[in-house]
Amino acid sequence: MAAENSKVMNVREAIAEFVHDGDELVIGNYTVGSCAELVYEVVRQGRRGLTLYSQSGIFDVEVLVGAGCADKLISTYVLRAGGKKGGSAVERAMNAGTLQVEDYTNFQYNARMVAGMHGFSYIQVLEGAMATDIFRKRSFMGENKFRVIKCPYTGKDQLTVPAANPDVCIVHVQRADQYGNAQYWGALGSVAAAALASKKIVVSCEEIVEHDIIQSSPHLTIIPAYRVNAVCEVPWGANPTEVLGYYNIDQFMYGLFMMMDGTADGLKAWMDEWVFGCENRAAYIDHYVQKFGSKILDGIRCKPYYSAPANYGSAFTSRWDKDGRERAMGMTLAEFEQTLKERGKLYD
Amino acid sequence: MTKPYTLQELLVIAVAKEIHDYENVILGVGLPTTAGALAKALYAPHATLMMESGIIDFEPLLPLNHIADAHSCRGFSYATDLFSAFTMTYRGFVDVCFLGVGQVDRYGNLNTTCIGDYYKPTMRLPGSGGACDFLSYAKRTVLTMLGGNFVEKLDYFTSPGYLEGGNSRDESGLFPKGSGPSMLLSTKGVFRFDPVTKEIYLAQIHPRVKIADVKKDVPWDLKIASDLSETPHPTDEEIDFIRRFAPAMSAGRELAMELTIANLMKQVKG
Repeated sequence: MAAENSKVMNVREAIAEFVHDGDELVIGNYTVGSCAELVYEVVRQGRRGLTLYSQSGIFDVEVLVGAGCADKLISTYVLRAGGKKGGSAVERAMNAGTLQVEDYTNFQYNARMVAGMHGFSYIQVLEGAMATDIFRKRSFMGENKFRVIKCPYTGKDQLTVPAANPDVCIVHVQRADQYGNAQYWGALGSVAAAALASKKIVVSCEEIVEHDIIQSSPHLTIIPAYRVNAVCEVPWGANPTEVLGYYNIDQFMYGLFMMMDGTADGLKAWMDEWVFGCENRAAYIDHYVQKFGSKILDGIRCKPYYSAPANYGSAFTSRWDKDGRERAMGMTLAEFEQTLKERGKLYD
Repeated sequence: MTKPYTLQELLVIAVAKEIHDYENVILGVGLPTTAGALAKALYAPHATLMMESGIIDFEPLLPLNHIADAHSCRGFSYATDLFSAFTMTYRGFVDVCFLGVGQVDRYGNLNTTCIGDYYKPTMRLPGSGGACDFLSYAKRTVLTMLGGNFVEKLDYFTSPGYLEGGNSRDESGLFPKGSGPSMLLSTKGVFRFDPVTKEIYLAQIHPRVKIADVKKDVPWDLKIASDLSETPHPTDEEIDFIRRFAPAMSAGRELAMELTIANLMKQVKG
């Protein structure tokens, strides 16, 4: 039974409610465990005019750009299918004039999120980049891609980037509770910063677990419930990318995507089948198994290698000992109340 | 008589030898991860291997699929984030890192962003990722160039090598003194940088390659070391390690892909 402050929704409801045309949308995941199903649903709902942030613009960016959802991209790394002879949706859209791209380094991009997450308006980044075209060549951010300031302490020139506070983050994690406490482990990358910098957060997870699981492992929580707007339980939600402890990368589906992504027609055919042709992740997995059998997916399920439990226990969890006496004052509750009365501390 | 080897195996070994014991190493995907695993197994058992995604002090059991691949090891010692991986580099804790090359100029400056015009690219390459900041602040950087090119002028300046050569990198005040690219590996040889002019030169040539083969890829008159050596024949131990750890690396990308696709098709039909 869902509690009254449950944020559990299905993916369709979550994207409909929290991702809007013209939004700044950030993909929370970095290279691994990408929020594939959330991305596909944004495509299915036909969002337009997005400014897309992705730390590592792999297939998530290809799908969103290929579907025409985004007209601006801020990234550090984009995918190229098929090597020199191949291509990418990003390259095609840049040449067609339908996509503007702002390039940062991994650190600069992440620093923008870190600044946003902490409420700063800008942040210092590593000055070496001033020697490069990353600093010199600007796209839609113009003068505001970077600014150089004087350090008030050392007098040296410092390179800075502006904070980013995207409208909404979509992110996939291993597990969450119904309130939205999201737990993620493995390559931490920039996942927490991307989520926490954003104004709204939509989380998908492999499984929704009891709150007690979260409470006994808070070191794994990267996004706290109070910041989360929606939680969607989506098993296999990152396929063809991988989720540590759940499944490995799906080289077969990834390979299929890469074979098709090199041309606009190929990508469209792939999306018609695997994005538009499947109304949700369950339908996608059904279609996958019907078409290719279950052997591939079964072969990439993770075997357990559990983290050693961290002991969050303490000597006692009540001020009153087993005999009902307060641990410091040595009194029972009745004796204590009698004392309060005798000392004139109680009022009717 | 030692075993026959593949070119890829020779390249991995040449890169692995750039990792010294007790060093802190940021690995990149592909050849460098296999090189890191080989170095850790045979030459540098106390090296700390790190990935910029925040996977720190790991022992790779499989070749990594990408820089955030925690499935390729069995746990690791320190889970930090990307931000801290770069600030630890900025503070000088990283001895050596590895970067791929799209275009490189004579002073080891790199382009991994685009071929042609930046805004309307003939070919859009991946971009910087971590490259610019690592080449800026790691004490040494090893460049691996398997498909890239030597050019007089980069189409886009992604990552700083020795800038205009000579002392220009140190004099810019932007980088730690003495940092910069230390070696470039290509399929034909090993290149290093002149300590004074910082111009790249051929230091070591792979077996069966002629100097003229190397020179024809370079649009200027490439300097050749007076003590030019030949890349040594791999030992059986090195070959065995690579073949067991990363058979696809031994085969090379094209052959491995061909064999993989053929096998997948067989599985799907069966």
